[in-house]
Amino acid sequence: MKDIFMWIGVGLGTLLVMAFVVLSVMAGGPKDALYMVRYALPHMHRGNLKPGDSAPDAKLFALNGDDTFHIRERTGGRPLVLVFGSFT
Amino acid sequence: MQIFNDYRSHADFLTVYVREAHPTDEWQMKSNVKDDVCYAQPRNLSDRLAIANDFTKRFKYPVPFGVDDMNNAANDAYSAWPERLYIIDENGKIAYRGGMGPFHYHPAEVRAWLAARYGEVKHPEMKTEEKKS
Repeated sequence: MKDIFMWIGVGLGTLLVMAFVVLSVMAGGPKDALYMVRYALPHMHRGNLKPGDSAPDAKLFALNGDDTFHIRERTGGRPLVLVFGSFT
Repeated sequence: MQIFNDYRSHADFLTVYVREAHPTDEWQMKSNVKDDVCYAQPRNLSDRLAIANDFTKRFKYPVPFGVDDMNNAANDAYSAWPERLYIIDENGKIAYRGGMGPFHYHPAEVRAWLAARYGEVKHPEMKTEEKKS
C-alpha cells in the first residue's frame, strides 16, 4: 500500500515537472513560465462567442479621452474587422 | 496594417486597445526593453489613453482606434486579451472568431476571409511573414 502512494507521488511529481518544462518552452524560460502562470493565464479566456452569434457591444473611448463610441455604431453596411491588442 | 490597406475599401476596421500584456510591473519581456516599450499596467483611464496615444504616434498607426474602459468591458465581452481578431458581418453577427493570441493569433485567416469575399490582393514582393499580417 505504501508503495502505491509512493508511485502516485512520483507520477504526479513527474507530471508537474513536465508541465513546467512545457510552459517554460512556451514562455521562453523558467522565469517567464512563472510569470505566465501568475500574470497571463488568469486573464486568458477562450470565451463562448462563435460564428453566427450576435456581436457584443461595448463602449470605447476615442484617443482624445473625451469622446466615446460603441462598437455597434461601427457595424452595419460593411464587415467590421476587430483587432484587439496592446502596446507591449 | 497591410490587410487594412488592401481591404479598407470593402470593410471597416477597428483596433481596440485593451490592458497591457507585458507591462513592467507584471510579465515584462526582454524584447520590450530592447524596443523601448516599457509601461506599467495602467491603473486609470488617463494612463491607458497615454499609452494608446504613444502607440499610434510611434507607428503612425492609420487604423481607426478605440480604447477599452477600465472595467475592461470590451475585453471581457470578446475574451480578447492579450490579442485577438474578429470579423463582424453586415448583420452584426460574428463571422470570424480568431483564436487566443499570441499562439493562435492569425491575421492570415482574416485576410483569407476577406479574400474569399472580395478577391485576393497579391503582394509578390512581400516576404512570407509580411503576408501573414
